[in-house]
Amino acid sequence: MLNPKLAVPLAAAGVALAGLLLLPGGLGGGESVPAGTAGAPVGQGVMETGGVRHTVPLSEIRDGGPPQDGIPSIDDPAFVGAAGAAFLSDSDTVIGLEIGGTARAYPLSILVWHEIVNDMVGGVPVAVTYCPLCYTSQVFVRVVGGEAAEFGTSGKLYNSNLLMYDRTTGSYWSQALGTAVRGELAGAQLEAVPFDLISWGDWKALHPGTDVLSTDTGHTRSYSTDPYGDYYTDPRIMFPVSNDDKRLPPKEVILGIEHGGEYKAYRQSDVESGSPINDDIGGVPVLLVSGYQGNARAFEREVAGQTLDFEARGGAVYDLQTGSLWDYGGLATGGELAGAQLARLAIHPGFWFEWAAFHPQTGVYGR
Amino acid sequence: MRAAPKAALAGAATVAAYTAVVIATTPALEPAAAVFAAVSINHAIMAGMGAGVGLQVYVSERAKALGCKTKLGAAGRSSGAAATSFFSFFSLVPLGCCGWWLYALSLLPGVLGVGASAVLIEHSQALAYAGFAAVFGFAIQGAMRLRRAAALVKAD
Repeated sequence: MLNPKLAVPLAAAGVALAGLLLLPGGLGGGESVPAGTAGAPVGQGVMETGGVRHTVPLSEIRDGGPPQDGIPSIDDPAFVGAAGAAFLSDSDTVIGLEIGGTARAYPLSILVWHEIVNDMVGGVPVAVTYCPLCYTSQVFVRVVGGEAAEFGTSGKLYNSNLLMYDRTTGSYWSQALGTAVRGELAGAQLEAVPFDLISWGDWKALHPGTDVLSTDTGHTRSYSTDPYGDYYTDPRIMFPVSNDDKRLPPKEVILGIEHGGEYKAYRQSDVESGSPINDDIGGVPVLLVSGYQGNARAFEREVAGQTLDFEARGGAVYDLQTGSLWDYGGLATGGELAGAQLARLAIHPGFWFEWAAFHPQTGVYGR
Repeated sequence: MRAAPKAALAGAATVAAYTAVVIATTPALEPAAAVFAAVSINHAIMAGMGAGVGLQVYVSERAKALGCKTKLGAAGRSSGAAATSFFSFFSLVPLGCCGWWLYALSLLPGVLGVGASAVLIEHSQALAYAGFAAVFGFAIQGAMRLRRAAALVKAD
């Protein structure tokens, strides 16, 4: 017998329970921040409010919900050789990293569930990071105060972007900026490491001896599925952003470059169609090349004080000044400059809305 | 209370409960922004679920007025609404990096196993609409019973 008196509360409770059953630890609230919004300056760009050092308004540090390390970083990563990576298809996107002759790939399909991998590559302690919402990948040398540090997810967000925390001081670090924004180390900057965002198939072709992060992470996750669904291809963003810059569609994939205090965004598609691109950022001549779909690299196009201009001929890249031949790693492999190496620049791939939110003053290549 | 206002109240309460969960599980956004985002993503589910539950209440109220007893249970309606909302919540993962729903989905394999979790995540939208269909199915079933009962009352 249907009891109408029970109908409303039961239906409502059913809906609410569906949402709340899986939330251990209760519901998240905003971060408890010291009273007052305007802190006192204690250094370049660093404020102090209620004894807390910070570089961004504390009120803009938002609670994502889960507790610190609720989304667990991978701290003891296991790797398999390319032949053992049956869980990957050639079209899957990976973060490719090569340091000191050691090449490693970190599939986004694993990173989407962990966001941070604390690793040691070629003797360098690195944090490989990924924020799915902003599609920002970043690799940092994870050294804090001269010591190797581990990073974890803080459960907090700034500008809809992952805030990491270091397990040495507990300071919060913006993944998009590579800067400590709250805590003892506020204002400190991590060194960014150049890497490739590239398909697994192309990375294997570039580095046949590469290892790849294994799904044996110590955590049980559904690595074959992406919880963000069609978010990446849906042109809409459903949440407000701090600087809604209409120059590009919000989810246009761009490569952000910062040099000398100047910021510039390059559409990935522009770099692919126009490669090589000779440009200047902050007074520094830069070269952007794309040899693979979805991938790009940036270099300073200067050798021994000489600025070079590059062009593509017959699928290869030459400089106009000496006619030397250059490979995809920025090494001159033929001609007068054979053996010369261009300095590689760290780039910031991600969605346009995120780059524009963090760098409202950014220029856009070609506009 | 008459059937129509009671049905409207039930539908509104269902939608209100849904939005309350959205607000509670999306602390990264202001409540208004969270609700706006949820409506943008799941407007069909939210409106349909409210309408479905409201319709069920309307039918049951009318049945009660006719002095009928039906086997249609409130528990069935609730579970349909719960299943619909649960799976539709999966699509709210993109509302916040490191959010509650990513967290919830990351815990699923430990409870259900990796394979089952993968299926649920992969087909969450379809499952949400299946729950939605169940809500309306109960309502339509109740309406048909009511129609038969009304015909019998008229014949008497």
